[in-house]
Amino acid sequence: MMTTITTDSDQIMTTLPALLHLMAWLSPAFPTGGFAYSHGLEWAVEAGDIKDGDSLREWLTDVVTNGSGRSDTILLRHAHRAVSDPEALRDIVSLASAIAPARERRDEALNQGRAFQLAVAPWTSTHLPEDAPYAVAVGAAAGSQNISEDDTAVAYLQAFTTSLISAAVRLVPLGQTAGLKVLAALETTILATASETKTATLDDVGGCAFRSDLAAMRHETQYTRLFRS
Amino acid sequence: MYDGACLSEPTRLQRAVGELRVTVKRFGSETVLDELRQVGCLKARFPRCIVPGWKDVVMLNTGGGVAGGDRLDLSIGVGEGGQATIAAQAAERFYRARTSDAPSRVRTRLTVAAGAALEWLPQETILFDRCALDRRLDVDLAPDARFLGVETVVFGRTAMGERVQQGWLRDLIRVRRGGELLLHDAIRLDGEIDAALQRPAVGGGARVVATLAYAAPDAGDKLEAVRTAFGAAEAGASVWNGMLIARILGADSASVRGTVVAVLAILRDARPLPRVWLC
Repeated sequence: MMTTITTDSDQIMTTLPALLHLMAWLSPAFPTGGFAYSHGLEWAVEAGDIKDGDSLREWLTDVVTNGSGRSDTILLRHAHRAVSDPEALRDIVSLASAIAPARERRDEALNQGRAFQLAVAPWTSTHLPEDAPYAVAVGAAAGSQNISEDDTAVAYLQAFTTSLISAAVRLVPLGQTAGLKVLAALETTILATASETKTATLDDVGGCAFRSDLAAMRHETQYTRLFRS
Repeated sequence: MYDGACLSEPTRLQRAVGELRVTVKRFGSETVLDELRQVGCLKARFPRCIVPGWKDVVMLNTGGGVAGGDRLDLSIGVGEGGQATIAAQAAERFYRARTSDAPSRVRTRLTVAAGAALEWLPQETILFDRCALDRRLDVDLAPDARFLGVETVVFGRTAMGERVQQGWLRDLIRVRRGGELLLHDAIRLDGEIDAALQRPAVGGGARVVATLAYAAPDAGDKLEAVRTAFGAAEAGASVWNGMLIARILGADSASVRGTVVAVLAILRDARPLPRVWLC
């Protein structure tokens, strides 16, 4: 990440503000309410699919590579490029709002998107409608500030993964060290997915994380719930 | 005639092309055929209707399966107030494609006018090892139209010991209502498919994946009954925007079909299934 930082002072001038923005916007302290969503992990833990660090790493590898992580990164990249084209942005929002596999996952994307757009107002505003899924809102905000698209993609996937690991640490439960070990192990997956989505078109949105999607559907019926998805 | 260059070229096989266009319309209390166009390997038959007011359409692929490079185009429309059930005579097979082949291309467009209903109930899609399939189902609904669709993809006939070790699949379902995109469900699987299906967040060992979409004013009311109909199956359902989505996974097509049939009974108010489903 932030590969554009060099010893050249001009480049530091242009990338350090971008770094500041990304760190603020994708920090767990940024008020998007991300802590309230488990992306179906709560069900996967209940069902015994996730029971330790190894099973968490394997599950998240597919969520990032073959599931919402990858699709959302493609949408983020396209929103970043379409930032000055309201019509293209509307099409991206419409696609991004139709790919959720379950009601709670749709709420997760739309509620966080809405909260993100309110919270990012001191920095920037975009042509997005109020109801824009989170990844699209992040992409458009970064694009409007000329923050590198690649850096935004990597930072987004890292924040997404961190948030899910944090949910799993509470749910399994796992020790902090076990959770961090999973995060460290997933860095290559994050970088690979960020790189693979670079040339993806909107037709490449999609995946095969069927059981992750089922977990989100079945979470709606879970009796005791800490999370909203 | 003895042009040596021809020998080094991969042999061009004859590829199937099929086109089917069917529209039906309401006539009094019945739904009747309006337009029919059949080209190449795709045909339609119209068995005597079981349920008053509904038109049954049965599609046939006389090509006996689909190979790499084949192209099928289907377009089915239901006019204002009409009701139609579309089924396929048999499960569709997608055979091994040669590496030089383009993927089989299947495009289906369903248009449902105001007050009309369409059921898309083909039978299973059976994938063979090293198949390549690019399929897309586009559904356009008037704001008060109703739609029920099911697509079941079988990754190798397990009873025959078949596996899709390798393959390439793009399977997209898009539903619009009143022009607004409700659903974009894109399955995307390629490379080592059987290995991928073993992974816990992907298939957990399942080799059959069924997807159901039901867009109707009573979608929300059906959710609990659909979940009950799943029984012990690996399945989930959810409702938003007046649309119910269900996904069912299973180890073999017989058990998944059993669950699909149980869910269809809920969503079709126990109307009998198209007869071809029972053959």
